[in-house]
Amino acid sequence: MTDEAQDVIGDYRYGFHDPENSTIRFDQGLSEQVVRDISELKNEPEWMTDIRVKAYRHFVERVMPEWGNCDLLNKIDFESITYFLRSSNKTETSWDDVPDDIKNTFNRLGIPEAEQKWLGGVTAQYESEAVYHSIREDLEEQGVIFLDMDTGMKQFPEIIKKYFGTVIPYSDNKFSALNTAVWSGGSFLYIPKGISVEMPVQAYFRINAKNMGQFERTLIIADEGSSVHYVEGCTAPSYSTDSLHSAVVELIAMEGAKIRYSTVQNWSSNVYNLVTKRAVAHKNATIEWVDGNIGSKLTMKYPSVLLKGEGAHAEVISVAYAGEGQHQDTGAKVHHLASNTTSNIISKSISKKGGRSSYRGLLQVTPKSTGCRSKIVCDALILDDYSRSDTYPTMEIGNSTADLEHEASVSKVSSDQLFYLMSRGFTEDAAMGLIVNGFFEPFTRELPMEYALELNKLLELEMEGSIG
Amino acid sequence: MIYQQMAIPPRSEHLWRYTPWPRIHPTVPTEVPIADAVIFSLEGAEAFEEVPSSESGVDDIARAFLQAAGGSSNRLFINEASEPIHINARASGHVAVGHLNLEVKGSAVVFIHISGEPEWVGLHITGKIHPNAQLCFGFINELDPNTKFLRCEDWLIERDAELEHATLSVGGFRCKSDLRSTLNGTGASIRQSVTINADGARHEDQHVEIHHLHGHTNSDLVMNSACAGSSHFIGTGLLTIAEGANKSDASQVFRNLLLSEKARAEAIPELEVLADDVSAAHGAASAPVDKEQMHYLMSRGLSPEESQAMIVNGFLLNAFSNLTNKFLIEEMRTRLTVHLECELKR
Repeated sequence: MTDEAQDVIGDYRYGFHDPENSTIRFDQGLSEQVVRDISELKNEPEWMTDIRVKAYRHFVERVMPEWGNCDLLNKIDFESITYFLRSSNKTETSWDDVPDDIKNTFNRLGIPEAEQKWLGGVTAQYESEAVYHSIREDLEEQGVIFLDMDTGMKQFPEIIKKYFGTVIPYSDNKFSALNTAVWSGGSFLYIPKGISVEMPVQAYFRINAKNMGQFERTLIIADEGSSVHYVEGCTAPSYSTDSLHSAVVELIAMEGAKIRYSTVQNWSSNVYNLVTKRAVAHKNATIEWVDGNIGSKLTMKYPSVLLKGEGAHAEVISVAYAGEGQHQDTGAKVHHLASNTTSNIISKSISKKGGRSSYRGLLQVTPKSTGCRSKIVCDALILDDYSRSDTYPTMEIGNSTADLEHEASVSKVSSDQLFYLMSRGFTEDAAMGLIVNGFFEPFTRELPMEYALELNKLLELEMEGSIG
Repeated sequence: MIYQQMAIPPRSEHLWRYTPWPRIHPTVPTEVPIADAVIFSLEGAEAFEEVPSSESGVDDIARAFLQAAGGSSNRLFINEASEPIHINARASGHVAVGHLNLEVKGSAVVFIHISGEPEWVGLHITGKIHPNAQLCFGFINELDPNTKFLRCEDWLIERDAELEHATLSVGGFRCKSDLRSTLNGTGASIRQSVTINADGARHEDQHVEIHHLHGHTNSDLVMNSACAGSSHFIGTGLLTIAEGANKSDASQVFRNLLLSEKARAEAIPELEVLADDVSAAHGAASAPVDKEQMHYLMSRGLSPEESQAMIVNGFLLNAFSNLTNKFLIEEMRTRLTVHLECELKR
């Protein structure tokens, strides 16, 4: 790597990029023809092409959000983005068959090694499509379907037609419309009734090319009484021009089912990460979003849960780290649409070197939902005088029996804690690292062990030089 | 900018999400009706100074509208007042508008009681509290239950000055308040409490902004609402701490008590913090009347209605717990208790 490249990448460990060896690359820019071409290339049924086209038209008509970081949002140049790039002609099931350059990338990210040790299945997406996919045989025998979304469309079109866009319609927001128009890749996961998937399944998303747009679409359906833990990770090279990641994730938990969806987002600081994630929880179902946002230039992501069935429960744990030039606009939305539903939201953020973190949340209890309970806790640390932390919570209470609590605090790292650790021999940096890891502990303890360790390492790297 | 040049604010702004400007405007948003004057009368101080209404440009549509509508415009300068000053604001007619400017250089306790039966009333209060001065300010809304009410306040609190600000809102049909305070010097502080008792189809929207522009400034906001019938309360708060305003201490707490199936409440306590060495916190809670408390009171012979009224009284009185001035606390508590007793006898 040249010194110049290192300067651009800075401390970001995953900022390397490989030469682009694409087999198909669309020209930059978006038009109805591009949308139709993507659909044709994937040999999709007519109904999917129709949805794509409708979504594209909605995207064109819909104005940019008038809230959030409008300055950054309005800098997105949709005409300079490549909307489809195929790096490999098919999705392999063995790492040996994956093209060497792509395999090297994932080797450097440690994915094959992790798969052998502790994963139930893996999808690795490189640019627009999955290049590798596997699932443990015993899970497959139990009827678990874990495919990349494109293969899912080919093999199970009826299931996808039934659920696609039911949780997040294309008309939900500008970026869900964009995703629906040009989606490619993502995961399709179906857990049959009563099956509990013990080992997490993982998807890993990598953008390698410049000015790339990655628009994966994930659909997870957990049938009655089943459970699954899905983990996703994201990285990209550091370029001086911007890339766009705009995913849509739809989760459906049937009666008594449980889905945990963990994300460790570590995009490079030139990536706009504008993601719509929403789940539906039926009777007595549980949805857990465990959401870590470390990278990206601007993240706008508010994992949502529609508690539709009586006794359903939502849990959202999110952490955000906003460093130099970053704005992490994250949060959670929970809609209590049925009686006796409960939710718990924990949000933690750190702002440093002029970074900005915002918590934006919505908690709604509809008039007919009795006996709902919810608790929201937001804590923010600001590490210097140039950084910023905002909290924008909204509580809409339409039923008198609801019991809701929200609390938030903003502070700096306690000098007492620093002093205590330093008096026991830690350097200032090490003490700060420990305190920050402790601050994020409610999040890391919910992650699989390997992810938690990796996250702690990442945070320590990010926190280097925080003192003084 | 003048009112006629302004665009109607979008509902994506929290300030206008639940009570959009066309819903609080007296007629249609393009119109500026001819307004009658809100009549201010004084007890405990010398006469007002009548001043021409100001022509200064404002960015906010509600303030610009009140400016354009005219009405009465009075100014009260207080050097020092040992006894509380009571200002009665009386509104009548179709549309009534009043402007009041307070300037305090010593210490004073001021109450404003607004009453009357106009269809629509607008009030814009501006105030400046000079360095080292203290103002305790109580606002009591006892308007007719059919009146629409728009209230804007702008307070400038200078170095080492203090403002204790209490609101009791029990009148009006649709009320929108936009209360803004700026802590404009080191050591400035504000303690603010808002108490809302809503029933019937009453709609009450309270927006409170507190801006910490300097370090070592303190703010404390408590907003309690009790909603019965099909009433709707909205509490929005915006607390900002500017870059470099270190050692600031800010807190805001929103509590809602919902007393009926159709009552609704929204709470949006927002924080924007641009300094690192601060203590900023907010909390919001919403809950029904505690069954154990009801049981306790009923087991001592109180009827369900009396028990609930007692619990509501205690809950709403608690909003004044962050205040320190005895005149202010006493007056607000008395007014609240009288109101709740009248409600119970109805």
